[in-house]
Amino acid sequence: MAVTDMPEFIRADGPDKVTGTGRYTADMTLTGQLVAKFKYAEVTHAIITKLDVEAARAIPGVFAVLTAADVPDIRFTYGIADRTLFATDRVRFEGEIVAAVAAISDDVAQQALDAIVFEYDELPPIVDLEAAIADGAALVHPDVDSYVVTGDTPHSGNVATHSSIAMGNAEEAMSNAATVVTSRYVADASHATPIEPRAVVAQWEGERVTVYTSTQVPFDARNLVCEALELPANRVRIIAPHLGGGFGGKCGGHFEPHIAALARAAKRPVKLVFSRWEEFIAPDRRREGMIIDITTGVDADGKIVARTGNILLDNGAYLADSAFFPQAAAMHVAGPYVIPNVFIDSRLVYTNHQPSGSVRAPTAPQGCWAVESHTDEIAAAIGMDPLDFRRKNIVTTGSVGAVGQTYDEIGLDQCLELAAESAGWGNDLPDDEALGISVGWWPSFHSPAGAYAKMHGDGSIQVITGASECGTGSVMTLRMLAADELGVDQTDIELVYQDTGAAPAGPGSSGSMTLFNHGRAVERAARQIADQIKELAATELEANAADIVLADGKASVAGTPTVSVPIVELAGSSPDGEILGSATTEDIEWPEIKGSTCLGDQGFSSWMAPQFSCHVVRVKVDKDTGVSRVLEVHAAHDSGTIINPIAAHGQIEGGVTMGIGQALTEGTQYDDAGRQRNAGLLEYKLQTIADAPKITTQFVEIYTPNAGPRGAKGLAEAPNVATCGAVNNAISAAIGKRIYQLPMTAERVWAAMNDISLEEA
Amino acid sequence: MTLTIATSLDDILAGLAQGARPIAGGTDLVVGSRQGKGSLPDTLIAIDRVAELNTIDVGADATRIGSGVTHARLMTDTTVVEQFTSIADASALVGSPATRNVGTLGGNVMNGSPAMDTGAPLVVLGAKAELASTSGTRTIGLDELWTGPGQTSANEDELCVALVIPNRPTASGSAYVRLEYRRAMEIAIVGAAASVEFDGDAIGAVNVALTAVAPTILEVTGLNGIVGSALDDATLAQVAEIASEQAAPISDLRASDKYRRHTIGVMARRAVDAAARRAAGEQIAVPVNRALGVGAVQ
Ligand SMILES: Cc1cc2nc3c(=O)[nH]c(=O)nc-3n(C[C@H](O)[C@H](O)[C@H](O)COP(=O)(O)OP(=O)(O)OC[C@H]3O[C@@H](n4cnc5c(N)ncnc54)[C@H](O)[C@@H]3O)c2cc1C
Repeated sequence: MAVTDMPEFIRADGPDKVTGTGRYTADMTLTGQLVAKFKYAEVTHAIITKLDVEAARAIPGVFAVLTAADVPDIRFTYGIADRTLFATDRVRFEGEIVAAVAAISDDVAQQALDAIVFEYDELPPIVDLEAAIADGAALVHPDVDSYVVTGDTPHSGNVATHSSIAMGNAEEAMSNAATVVTSRYVADASHATPIEPRAVVAQWEGERVTVYTSTQVPFDARNLVCEALELPANRVRIIAPHLGGGFGGKCGGHFEPHIAALARAAKRPVKLVFSRWEEFIAPDRRREGMIIDITTGVDADGKIVARTGNILLDNGAYLADSAFFPQAAAMHVAGPYVIPNVFIDSRLVYTNHQPSGSVRAPTAPQGCWAVESHTDEIAAAIGMDPLDFRRKNIVTTGSVGAVGQTYDEIGLDQCLELAAESAGWGNDLPDDEALGISVGWWPSFHSPAGAYAKMHGDGSIQVITGASECGTGSVMTLRMLAADELGVDQTDIELVYQDTGAAPAGPGSSGSMTLFNHGRAVERAARQIADQIKELAATELEANAADIVLADGKASVAGTPTVSVPIVELAGSSPDGEILGSATTEDIEWPEIKGSTCLGDQGFSSWMAPQFSCHVVRVKVDKDTGVSRVLEVHAAHDSGTIINPIAAHGQIEGGVTMGIGQALTEGTQYDDAGRQRNAGLLEYKLQTIADAPKITTQFVEIYTPNAGPRGAKGLAEAPNVATCGAVNNAISAAIGKRIYQLPMTAERVWAAMNDISLEEA
Repeated sequence: MTLTIATSLDDILAGLAQGARPIAGGTDLVVGSRQGKGSLPDTLIAIDRVAELNTIDVGADATRIGSGVTHARLMTDTTVVEQFTSIADASALVGSPATRNVGTLGGNVMNGSPAMDTGAPLVVLGAKAELASTSGTRTIGLDELWTGPGQTSANEDELCVALVIPNRPTASGSAYVRLEYRRAMEIAIVGAAASVEFDGDAIGAVNVALTAVAPTILEVTGLNGIVGSALDDATLAQVAEIASEQAAPISDLRASDKYRRHTIGVMARRAVDAAARRAAGEQIAVPVNRALGVGAVQ
């Protein structure tokens, strides 16, 4: 079926969410439930000299107080197993959990926290990336060499992992280049900031625990509970009620093991709900700060001949899912350009900041911002129009990219033209306005994922998936695929999701993988039922199963639509009483790379079903104050086939708006000790609906083989990649000066315009 | 904690006399306590349903705006928009539609934050606060009312009943502009209000007050020098310079003192410009920030 024949999207979770009847984790109440609260280090780097919780335990109404002494002594995390549930001998960031309490009320829980004796000797905070990797620097993890290391994770000292891309001979090519441009860009850390704060409720029944939690990836949360509390997978069930946004910040497991352990110790259900301050300081999913040095050489024709790069990423105190960050960042600094000679070094550095972890397209908005700003600097240096420069240098179908991957049919060149034309590139604008352009890219990821499909005896259909709906609509899209396979209406299908006790495993809502992976599994599971229905219909209609067509709720014989039977009626005729389907994704081969070597390879060297984008933004700058406002964004995206246009447009609009926030107002500020100074929504400035610009979206639909269902690629992260770079290029064009620090706040723009240096804390 | 919903002014004054705290929209009081700025008072008296506090009365010499009038109403009320336009400019910038629907003028004034948006407009318009208690009513100037950040000279048992503003002379206008990093849910980093009265083609009177650059709203002095001059670039540059000089800004995570000092000049200049244009009869829609793209660009 042609994708354009897809019916209009009907969002199953829409009415619940819009009318307020939907229930989120924080809305849950279980009988006898206790309140959980965490004791945080609040100091960023210290050796614990005393931790005594006896007085806290003695308070009436306190049911449990846990510290590292009360849970299995286990270090976990992929890459470097550097984490424990609770601080052991030292604390390494302000949000590190020292102890957890479960008590009858908020007040009593607070009293218990206050009664905990926590003494320490402060150590000098390690917060400067360059100082942290200098010889002889004090270590965030002095015992790092004793930790378990997994994957290709070269580490030494405060460098948690290190990745490099080498192709050709960058040094030699650079020395022969006609023009060489060098830039340094610094990106501040930022946050995913979902409006729903994290919440966890755990309840034990005998030896089994059910944890209700606001995770984007229930199976990862389950695995964390199992690993940290030494429980088998069949005794831990994770259920995620409706999610109020995640943006990557709720990927994986966070506080589920703490609350499960508290509930076990307290012998009562226990509930944790984060305050906004906790939401900022405690999770291991901050968007990492970066320092990016890039040098590019171009020949006399304006073709890029060489690029070198040096990237430092602020990992913070512990690895979350950040082991792949250096490689992902290196790919962004290479960019979607044809560059024959490349050498990029990228290091993830331990500091006493909050840990960094996946936030929508990890490393990409900052990396792309740096490289696209740098690209405009190169164009300016050789006197070429930024659009023409990109036309000359971007990857197109059949070209070989900066790591030696040869691209199949891709649409970046079309994206470039569509976005530029839509924005009126080259037209005259008022003095205080300008356009800025940026291209971006992001991979799709294959992951195993499963799905069950059931047609019950009464003909009703259920699809059971490990996918998670964090608001994108992509789980809701899954039933469109199943409905299409089965020839029924999408509203005839009920979804079961976000429950590890019911569904086969999968990546949940992470890495733009819902449709890409869960979609393929759902499609195949539904097809299995469809085949069985066809068999039943063939008997009923005395025809060949191969000739049966399922459409409009009927099974009919191809060519003779009058000979048909309602699908609902066939369900009951199954000898098994119901019809079952169960499927997983088929493997997709990773594309080959030739001619490059990648150290610290974490699966980002070649990109499967790569997505491309171009954003052209129109910015207006108040030249007296430096306040910049994005008036228009013209986005063009190659995300393969678009299965659900309504949801796809929503993703672009949301991603672009999030990108504008990162570009202009969202940046975490630290004090000298590495504590967040703006851990709240008054001082950490998200964009509001009043700030949203006009966003024009165009899709370059290329059917992509070896990709998601029906030739689709991923889509959710890609729109967040290119915006910051385009905004910088527009601001720079408007003011005639470039901004080298992200976010490009009004004060920074004003300072750049007036050559004022800011002493920032 | 007890919450009493008052139905008359006497109810309120009696409640205050017994130690209750008034709560109008609660957008400062409740939100503040949730953010840990002190817990909610033990006894609260809700004043939002008392009709006397919700009126705008135009008198012969002055207009009384009830303390319970919401920002949503201030930004659209014909009298306020036409006569005391700078208040409408300010109210239109407060928070979000939800904040403006419940937040009140009295709450803004009595909360006493140096970042209050209606403060500077009230100062340039020469407003006075009418305070009442069971022992009587007094009317005091705002410079006397605000004593420091979050502090007023009102007694605990005194209710702000209304703000009393002298009616406007002809050929006058006022405006309020604010620096905004985003277009909703913003707090004043710096802001400026101006009132301008023309005497023929020359400036007959000018008043400027500044938001968030001192412990209380700061009235700019020493503008007499521009009275009698035409409103041109040189005059406006002078306004900017004087305002920048008099501001006592701090450095914090919203902005450095350097940037605040510069932008307060920009705001003051733009406020005077917009006020003067209004005084000259130009229709500039409320709020100036949106109409002219000042503070935050359009
Ligand atoms: C999201 C958000 C955004 C905001 N944005 C802005 C903004 O942009 N600009 C701005 O200036 N403010 C802003 N505020 C602050 C607040 O909304 C305003 O100050 C509002 O006018 C307060 O009015 P209220 O009726 O809600 O006051 P309340 O919270 O009810 O009261 C505030 C204080 O004044 C006292 N009080 C109230 N009424 C009287 C009275 N009649 N007499 C004596 N004392 C009284 C109360 O006891 C309390 O101490 C914002 C607040 C929020 C939550």
